[in-house]
Amino acid sequence: MNIHNEINSDIKFLAKSEIRLKILSELYDRPNSIHGLVKRTNINYSSVSSNISKLEQNNHIRKIKHKYHINPMTKIYFKTLIDFKNTVDIINDYNEFWDKHNLDQLSIDSIKNITDLKESTLVETTPIDIYKTHNTIKNELLQSMSIKAIFPYLHPDYPQIIESVLENNGKIELVIPKSIYSAIITQIDMKLRRESSKNGRLKIYPVNNDLKIYLTICDGSMSLGLFKNDDSFDQNRILVSNDEKSHKWAENLFKAIKEDVMK
Amino acid sequence: MTSVQTKTELTEEYKNVKYILTSSMRTKLLLAVYESSKNLEDLRTELKKPSATILHGLKELENINLVKKTQKYYELTSNGFLLTTNMIKLIENWFSINKNKKFWNDHDLSDIPEDMLKSMYLLKEAEYENSTTSDLSNAFNKYIKLLSKSTELKIILPIYSENHFKHIIELLNESKVKNLELLVNDKILSSIKSNDDLNKNLMKNKKVKVKCSENNLKLFLTCSDNFMSLSLFFKDGLYDDSQILIGKDKNAMKWALNLFKFFSD
Repeated sequence: MNIHNEINSDIKFLAKSEIRLKILSELYDRPNSIHGLVKRTNINYSSVSSNISKLEQNNHIRKIKHKYHINPMTKIYFKTLIDFKNTVDIINDYNEFWDKHNLDQLSIDSIKNITDLKESTLVETTPIDIYKTHNTIKNELLQSMSIKAIFPYLHPDYPQIIESVLENNGKIELVIPKSIYSAIITQIDMKLRRESSKNGRLKIYPVNNDLKIYLTICDGSMSLGLFKNDDSFDQNRILVSNDEKSHKWAENLFKAIKEDVMK
Repeated sequence: MTSVQTKTELTEEYKNVKYILTSSMRTKLLLAVYESSKNLEDLRTELKKPSATILHGLKELENINLVKKTQKYYELTSNGFLLTTNMIKLIENWFSINKNKKFWNDHDLSDIPEDMLKSMYLLKEAEYENSTTSDLSNAFNKYIKLLSKSTELKIILPIYSENHFKHIIELLNESKVKNLELLVNDKILSSIKSNDDLNKNLMKNKKVKVKCSENNLKLFLTCSDNFMSLSLFFKDGLYDDSQILIGKDKNAMKWALNLFKFFSD
């Protein structure tokens, strides 16, 4: 095993104690005294004080005029540790979404930046609204002027959605399996399709490879759907988000998958 | 006394991180099956631990749905794969910071955005060069040498240095550099404009795009088509020309480009 493939003892030292992590997260935001920390965290004086000494001994914090300051290097270490914590939170918060699903087409980069999705919402169908996931995406698509999408299967609504966006002078970029290519394009008005392709507003990339991911990027939102491990698409859940970070995350993933399946 | 509620909340908040990161057995097992699925025999040989210890660790990971067993072989679940990929990122982040610890520790890092700090792993191949008492311009010379092999350049330039300008203009005039994007603050921009030579060769050169940044950035960043470099300021506010971090691999160049885009977009 590679030498740096092991958790180093500093990580262990920090991760071992919730109290130390809490103290560091307070000092990360602003310097504080022991009394101030006791007040902010509700942790008792002796615990705060003994952990402060341990942090000081290990060179993570330093006292300047009654107040403890986090050292700049520890600030970076702590940041990366909290990033890992946020990752674990995202995995747990959307457990139903990831668990027993196929993640093969998520790029390693997109997995490493998965905390960018922390503002997302998990949309699930309900017995009284079994098309909730599809309808959520459909509404976003119809209102969008620019769409990038990976459609791994054909839904009968897609041709009309594409037509409607193109009629409104919108722009569409699609990655789809070769097997559904003709079924989609023959249902779009021929004149509109030719014109849009000619002026670059409609770009369709049919690919030979299996697509095991569903991704849409609209003007202000993104949505992500996965296949289950048994190879069926999970129509009951999607992750949607309308913040900038998720949008960027989705753009990068779209680019990575496009490059990967088209090589 | 710390109240029971505070304790419970704290424990809850960091529970998972603590559980994973503080056990060598659990982290080693995750890393071992990340490479490929393995049976007990493989794991015993790799980790050099008795079966009972390994099986105990595997059971713990199965219980929290990070590992699963399929026909005698242990592999990561989807959740386990997401978590372990990010645990490797954490390890590489720390490795990368520690590798050039002196460089980071010596300087003012306040202008490096938080998102860039989270992806320090991209710099794990980068190394820093020092000037020494016997070679005072080692860092500068290494930089100029790399610069001369570049055709595309994006630079955040926080200092007005005739020496740097001289070399950059030479490369532009020899047509070695085809495109140069320069991000400077308003003070440096007006200094460039008021120098006839620089005004002619930079501001009026079609190959050069000069952008003015509102921020008074304390980092000297170069993104080229074949390397990246970074020099920083001391904590007292003075520029340090004696140390330079250089990366020639794809990841380091990606990190630098992200940093450049962060300030130029």
